[in-house]
Amino acid sequence: MTEARPGEPGAAPRRQPGVVVRGLSVSYGDVVAVSGVDFQIEKGEVLGLLGPNGAGKSTIIDAITGLRAPSAGAIEICGVDLLRRPADAKRKIGVAMQTTGLPAAITPREALEAFGRLYGVAARVGELEARFGLEAKSGARVATLSGGQKQRLALALAFVNDPELLVLDEPTAGLDPASRRELHGYIGGLKREGRAVLIATHDMDEAYRLCDRLIILHQGQIVAQGAPGALAARVGAAMRVEVHAGTPVQAEWLSAEPLFDHLVVDGFTVSFSTANLEAALARLMAVLSLQAVEVVTLRASRASLEDIIAELVQRPGLE
Amino acid sequence: MQALLSQTGLALRLAFRNPMGLLYGFLFPLIFLAAFWALYRYEEVPLALHMGELLTVTVLGGACFGLATTLVSERELGVWRRYRATPTPTWVFVTAILISRYLLIAAAALLQLLVAFAVGMPVPTDPAGLFVAFTFVTIAFLGVGLVIALLADNVPAVQALGQCIFLPMLMIGGVAVRLSALPDWALHVSAFLPGRYAVAVIQSCVTGGGLGDRGFDLFALLAIGLAGFIAGVTLFRWEPSGRRERRTNLIGAVAAVSGWVLVGLLAHAQGRIAAPVTVLEDVGSVSDYVAPRVTTARPDTPSDVVASSASTVASEAAPHVAAPEQGISRPEPAPAVRPAPTSWREVTPADFDQVAFDRLPSDDGLVAPVARDGQEPDLAAVDQLERVRAALPGWPPGRVADPVQRVRNLLYVAAVPDLLQMGEIERFLPAIVLERLSAEFSRAELARILFWIATHPLEGEDSAIGQLETAGLPGVSGPTRAVRGRAMLYAFKLLGRLTGQLPARPDTPAPDAAAQP
Repeated sequence: MTEARPGEPGAAPRRQPGVVVRGLSVSYGDVVAVSGVDFQIEKGEVLGLLGPNGAGKSTIIDAITGLRAPSAGAIEICGVDLLRRPADAKRKIGVAMQTTGLPAAITPREALEAFGRLYGVAARVGELEARFGLEAKSGARVATLSGGQKQRLALALAFVNDPELLVLDEPTAGLDPASRRELHGYIGGLKREGRAVLIATHDMDEAYRLCDRLIILHQGQIVAQGAPGALAARVGAAMRVEVHAGTPVQAEWLSAEPLFDHLVVDGFTVSFSTANLEAALARLMAVLSLQAVEVVTLRASRASLEDIIAELVQRPGLE
Repeated sequence: MQALLSQTGLALRLAFRNPMGLLYGFLFPLIFLAAFWALYRYEEVPLALHMGELLTVTVLGGACFGLATTLVSERELGVWRRYRATPTPTWVFVTAILISRYLLIAAAALLQLLVAFAVGMPVPTDPAGLFVAFTFVTIAFLGVGLVIALLADNVPAVQALGQCIFLPMLMIGGVAVRLSALPDWALHVSAFLPGRYAVAVIQSCVTGGGLGDRGFDLFALLAIGLAGFIAGVTLFRWEPSGRRERRTNLIGAVAAVSGWVLVGLLAHAQGRIAAPVTVLEDVGSVSDYVAPRVTTARPDTPSDVVASSASTVASEAAPHVAAPEQGISRPEPAPAVRPAPTSWREVTPADFDQVAFDRLPSDDGLVAPVARDGQEPDLAAVDQLERVRAALPGWPPGRVADPVQRVRNLLYVAAVPDLLQMGEIERFLPAIVLERLSAEFSRAELARILFWIATHPLEGEDSAIGQLETAGLPGVSGPTRAVRGRAMLYAFKLLGRLTGQLPARPDTPAPDAAAQP
């Protein structure tokens, strides 16, 4: 049985939002990086910010964490106005940035203690080290940690102030698969603890796996938002299928079929997008079987972010 | 406050884990010290006359390179961006890094001083003043370092910008090349640079009169430091690629240079451009002040020329120094009158007539100064002078049995502070010494002994110079011939006072007296 997502039928009644962003615009001189963005994140909800490089993800993250002043708009963190009471708002936020952002010679223990004092709290160093698997590296210098250990330390630092909102900027960038799975587990735990989580990523798989809701950005504006499945279904580009056949395939066998979007037939290879993977595969196999074409390999993957954005930009107004 | 202490402690711990930082911050200052020691190894007072330069270079390196490199490399790593996401205000981080850098520079300077003491440098004349001076110098250069850090986008840029300030300061700023060796145009430029004020105020506290007359130097350093901090506030950025408006850059740059320009213009307006007179002056030899004798009567006497035994005082004492402060013309040969005395007991008033008192250095000059009658020392100097006055009756070297040695020892009490240019107190000590001598000897007896010492400055022993701490003064170690030269001058001057040939002067100098060479 799947868990009901916030905002969907069957979800628990709404509490005070973790984040409310209204009319957010950020400019660098004459360059507008983000323009008129509105969204909110409920507590217990994981929101993914998606978009290609330069879409405005990091700028929104910077604005929400108080690193960059907006040129217009308002941001509330758990009911606290970030622009008027930045220190109070920052006490409610835990941040894990793309880079660890620590001096090379500091140790995880020292970093956790120091950041605890910066938030005016006594960090539960032992507990955080145990939770994020850092006990063995407690006294090692950050420069000697692996990429995964550094990311776990960044995540542990985001917890020193027991935040109500977690902001994770590309949390799994550069990690090996095992470390990624580990981090996905931690993030799932945050959701269960009822914290609001904002994740910036450009990894669609990660977004599908972790997020209750996605916001897709393009050139500083929101081009779509919604639950991952619903969003993919709306754009009709949930999955991408690629088939290598034993004999050449004729395009006319498949072109009339509405289940196959963006169909490309090139000799022995067939590729298409579909919002209904099960039905599309059944239909494909039936057609190929009828033509006595043997399937050598078949690969189904989620549509890339670029595919979705291309689709959304071509078909605006899908929210 | 807890965050400030925590950040300061963390910055210090991290600094001590950086081998390159330690190398540049601690080892290099010691290498500089060793280089200066080797370079000036012939000086009578090891290193003391160069601590202004040495400590300034230490502060300059620690602030302009150490601070800026740390700040920029942390910014490149994203450390400051990460800090900014916390609720702790900006000033805590900036203050912590400035305090930690101040402490690191202070530790390096202290280490330098300790090594200097170990090789024989005397205790600074004004230790408390030295601490204050060091603090002002560090404030000035930390302000400069902050501006460098905020202008530079990366560590190589820090090195480039730092050198743009460091090298001119060394070459024409009075730090590595003495102001007295600079051409006139460079002296004018140096007035705009903090280096000369840093060297002057530190040196004054090590061997001079302390902070008393260094008000302008302190003001200059503070103004330059504050200008740097104001520019730092304007230019501050958390990220390496932080974009700033052109107007902000302009305001920051104007703020940064305003302190330098203000100080330079004020120095010009107040006529503070000229280089100070060299500290170690050639005091001349006995023959400069006493007419040589023709020894027809006693050709075999060892002192057929009174000055012979002492004629090399100046050259031996200070072989490296240039011409005397004032031109000392050699006296015309005098006709033979009578043989030279062979002991102080044979000295007669007729011998006093051989002394050319008018050729002695001016009482108002740098060498062997003597206070005017009724002239009052600064309040800061009164206590130290009183300590000396109280210590002299019980001072062991002032109680030795040999009367000549006793007088010689007491003359060292005036000679050493003169050599070290102990500003306010040096000119008042001759009167205290004379007071003590007058209590020990009759006027006639004292005059004969003084004449004898003045004409035999290299005789006797000089262990008393190493015992001056017990008389409330700094001692010197190593060769002490320069001290003997100064003792010779004071012996002549006190003799002149006793015989009336150098009358005491009123407190208000006559117009022509001020112009006396």
